[in-house]
Amino acid sequence: MRLEKCWFCSSTVYPGHGIQFVRNDAKIFRFCKSKCHKNFKMKRNPRKVKWTKAYRRLHGKDMTQDSTFEFERKRNRPERYDRNLAENTLKAIKKIDKIISDRASDHIKNRLKTGKVQRQKEARKQLELGIHLVKAPLALAQDSSLCLPKIKVNVSQAQTEENQPMED
Amino acid sequence: MIQPQTHLNVADNSGARELMCIRVIGASNRRYAHIGDVIVAVIKEAVPNTPLERSEVIKAEIVRTRKELKRDNGMIIRYDDNVAVIIDQEGNPKGTRIFGAIARELRQLNFTKIVSLAPEVL
Repeated sequence: MRLEKCWFCSSTVYPGHGIQFVRNDAKIFRFCKSKCHKNFKMKRNPRKVKWTKAYRRLHGKDMTQDSTFEFERKRNRPERYDRNLAENTLKAIKKIDKIISDRASDHIKNRLKTGKVQRQKEARKQLELGIHLVKAPLALAQDSSLCLPKIKVNVSQAQTEENQPMED
Repeated sequence: MIQPQTHLNVADNSGARELMCIRVIGASNRRYAHIGDVIVAVIKEAVPNTPLERSEVIKAEIVRTRKELKRDNGMIIRYDDNVAVIIDQEGNPKGTRIFGAIARELRQLNFTKIVSLAPEVL
């Protein structure tokens, strides 16, 4: 029994699932489900289809190089059954899975960090500009604690002149 | 799912290029032939200067079909075309070489000669 990878989306194909297509040059294409199979028949390139692992790896959405990938390399030599080895392997698989998923989510978090920081900055700016929609200016003047603390940003003169048309 | 009037390619060097199925061997009103079944076919296209000629009626064994082949372990295999190998009355292939992949099911059906000649058994 062997767990294969779907040719189109790179997910694991468990035994009893999916279809194998054998081309005339004896190359085997395995698919995990009919969605991948139909996309293949439509001659779609998985590197251009957004939800496939090939696209995500190519466009840097998922991590591409990691030492944990060595564990999933295809090995063609069958191992003689050894109970201890099997037990240890199962334990290791669990641990390695956790490590891989942690690293993958870290990669994605790092990738999205710059966008998050940007959005927070923009939100803060918007709140500053539109504070009169949140609280009446009279109330703000009377009780200054309701304001957001102003952030001091060192900006050169030339930069402020550039920013003014954008604020319109 | 090969039925009469189906055109099949030939996977050996017997001299024929294309066959047309005339009859599915088995029951009297058997509809379709799959991988591992014998059919009676007529040669539609042949390589010149070979023992087999066009419009000769021969028996052939189906080795690859576009219709999926289901295995007991849940594996489903589909090939790219419908291909047969020309055999004689005993089931021995007429050609001396086989081209392309062959399904493993043929070994159970006693077509061992074909399986042994095949470059790849899948």
